[in-house]
Amino acid sequence: MMGGYGDVQLLRDDGLRLDGRKLDEMREVQIEAGILPAADGSAWVKHGLNVAVCAVYGPMEAHPRKIQKQDRAVIDLRYNMAPFSTSDRIRPGFNRRSREISKVTAEALESVVLVERYPRSKIRVEIEILSAEAGTRCVGITAASVALADAGIPMRDMIVGVASGKVEDTVVLDLDKAEDNYGQADLPMGILPTTGEIAFLQMDGDLSIEEFNLCMDYNMKAAKEIHEIQMDALKRRYESKNGGA
Amino acid sequence: MNPRTEVLELSAPVSNLLKQELARLAESDKRIDGRGRFESRDIILETDCLYNAEGSAKVTWGDTVVYAGVKFEVREPWPDRPTQGSLMCGAELRPVAGLKYEAGPPSPESIELGRVVDRGIRESGCIDMDSLCIIPGEKVLGVMIDIHVLSDRGNIFDASALAAIAALKTSIVPAERFDVGEDYPLQVQKTPTMCTFTRVGGRYVLDANEQEENGGEERIHITLAEEGHLHSLQKGLKGTFTPTEFAEILEVAQNRCAELVNLVKSKEA
Repeated sequence: MMGGYGDVQLLRDDGLRLDGRKLDEMREVQIEAGILPAADGSAWVKHGLNVAVCAVYGPMEAHPRKIQKQDRAVIDLRYNMAPFSTSDRIRPGFNRRSREISKVTAEALESVVLVERYPRSKIRVEIEILSAEAGTRCVGITAASVALADAGIPMRDMIVGVASGKVEDTVVLDLDKAEDNYGQADLPMGILPTTGEIAFLQMDGDLSIEEFNLCMDYNMKAAKEIHEIQMDALKRRYESKNGGA
Repeated sequence: MNPRTEVLELSAPVSNLLKQELARLAESDKRIDGRGRFESRDIILETDCLYNAEGSAKVTWGDTVVYAGVKFEVREPWPDRPTQGSLMCGAELRPVAGLKYEAGPPSPESIELGRVVDRGIRESGCIDMDSLCIIPGEKVLGVMIDIHVLSDRGNIFDASALAAIAALKTSIVPAERFDVGEDYPLQVQKTPTMCTFTRVGGRYVLDANEQEENGGEERIHITLAEEGHLHSLQKGLKGTFTPTEFAEILEVAQNRCAELVNLVKSKEA
């Protein structure tokens, strides 16, 4: 729905966005680690009205053998939207969109996880979107990072999913559903918050170089904020594992 | 215990030991987690917990976690039932739920789960299908309940049935979105709930956990509504039972389902 510009007003007369946020303000983020007892590591992330749950299993032997890599672990990742996660019900099962998101998300995580430590093995990452309201791939990345850490899998850094974009010729951080549907551009990124490296990048729409640079600044700033929430969730999980000590 | 250690313990060569231990415990009428024979694990029921679903519920049943979400659609009625809407309940057992689950087309297990829960709700008559009619012969409402198992540590059937009926009973029909009047709460007349009994160490226990399922035998699912009538039965896995055994667990199910009905009703507006 890119290019719907002009049809729908997305910025209010006072310069704020329809939901009252400032241009560089993200939606509220809440994170819990270790919420699925069957998994080796897990996380729950609520980002605005998005809800994502991630389970991590492994590292374990990679089956079938042809998927094994002799020098590292493979990340076997599925991004899936629950049938009731959107306004119109989604038929269960994989589609082209979820396959593509699964592929690039797995590759982003492979860039962060110390996969060389586990040759010939696999790490299963299951991202389930329970409620979708724009930006679910980013929420999935944020959740996967916490779940991997909760599973005790070594990583170079955490990874945070965050997006910026353009509405009414104005760059804004963290598009909501209306802004995503009727805006002019969307730039989701997976950022390593400590080093500032980028492990995940997609974009669609229309951005000038200046606008792109501003999106990048917004994303970097938000990644640091979300990183603190991630670490806080992991610390709370660690406390509760020790009986609240 | 670390879940992975537990899974290793259950691999084929070791499972006989688990069976022996369960049989030994059964001799003194004990269970592996210390519960009584007909004692359930603790249940936390949350409703209206997801934004885009028209009704939703999360059930945390011991260490088992299940979500259910309700969606509506406007569709043409079946030619032979021009004034009736429809109800469908499906379940997904995706790899997120546990190490033993793999990606792929719906497994026989997930189809059985969805259909057993579906029958309990459908056959209780809790929804008047005629009330889902918008224009006879042209437009009716379809109600779809999707069950999403996120963590399987035993007895996903009872957890799924509870999540499904709780989500259904807190559903709001999005009539405005379909341009057919104002939003209204879905009318659900009854509260079917399920009790599952699994043969562990030779006798039936209520609400088997993951270890009991792995070292146990056949299971029986009983769905009752508040009027005390049976609405769905299913025997699963290899094994047989006697009428005397069934009479005993049915009596337990009657009491237990009444408690579950109260739990669901406590969440209704």
